Amino acid sequence: MQKLVRTLALAALIVLGIWVWRILFPSPEHVIRSLVGNVAETVSFNAKDGNISKAYKVSKLQDFFTVDVEIAVDAPGYPPHTFTGRDEITQALLAAHSRLNGLKVEFLDVNVKVGPDKQTATANLTAQANFNGERDFSIQELNFLLKKIEGKWKIYRIETVKTLSSLPSAIQANPVEA
Amino acid sequence: MATDSNHSRFPRWLRILTIGRNPRLTLIRIAVLIGLVFLMRELVLIPIRIVGPSMMPTYQERGINFVNRLAYLRAEPQRGDVVAIRYAGEHRMLMKRILALPGETIEFRNGQVFINDKPLPEPYLAKDYPSTWTIPPQQMGPDRYYVVGDNRTMPERQHVKGAAARERIVGKVLLCKNLFAPSPSRR
Repeated sequence: MQKLVRTLALAALIVLGIWVWRILFPSPEHVIRSLVGNVAETVSFNAKDGNISKAYKVSKLQDFFTVDVEIAVDAPGYPPHTFTGRDEITQALLAAHSRLNGLKVEFLDVNVKVGPDKQTATANLTAQANFNGERDFSIQELNFLLKKIEGKWKIYRIETVKTLSSLPSAIQANPVEA
Repeated sequence: MATDSNHSRFPRWLRILTIGRNPRLTLIRIAVLIGLVFLMRELVLIPIRIVGPSMMPTYQERGINFVNRLAYLRAEPQRGDVVAIRYAGEHRMLMKRILALPGETIEFRNGQVFINDKPLPEPYLAKDYPSTWTIPPQQMGPDRYYVVGDNRTMPERQHVKGAAARERIVGKVLLCKNLFAPSPSRR
């Protein structure tokens, strides 16, 4: 019995150690997943949010991107459009705040691939957006391209992925060419 | 003593009905059942809830169905199969019907589908869901399947369709009709 308790205590200690280690020294994958989750949280808003909260979110969003960030949107039913630079993205988010009563963005199935140089990475994910608190939602597969600047991961490009395409996905989204 | 008082409080038949004759065995059974359900969910059948009108009227919105992961373990997807296609992962998937196989050329002419220039009979389409789609010929690559929904009354540009890579096809939709589907409504 005592042996069992000791074994269990040792196992618990090992699990605790691994947990603490991961908190203190997170892997790049973990950091990027967390960053992507923060982007979703920052972009989302609801009608009850005050102006200060909205302004804070808009300013916070800039921290996630490089100055020359590009967001290339090519979704079915809409003409392709590219947003360039943090200012244009900020303007787009402000416009969304004024036009919509609410927006809830979730990034699901985040697959992170870090480049061999450990300075670039790609996050392939499924974005789900609910507008104005409605039950229906829009879905779009996206690629986030990131690079490390002064020790911090920043998004330098977001592009839509054509899930149904005659081209191989490797050609569509060549990720880590910084 | 506590057990005795429990015995007096709950009738024997109620105890047997809720926790069985042997509680330890019941616990083991529950654990095995949970394990089996988890394995089934991960390896065999994925439960899905249908959202969106693109497969109507074959599959009503908000119905429940399952995706059979093992369907294409030994055989390749066939024309007419309704399949689940993953996005970045399996938390959200597309549900579509396969029309063209790898290497084939597909074309829509005023609603009629042509495969390698021959008209494709589609008995599964509802007659009160007419289509006028015209899409130029498109040849499938070596591991590409052309997929589309059954609801072709929708504007063609709003309907998600195209060539799905084999690796994205997660499995075949198990049931011909949804479970717990609401009454049919036209959109």
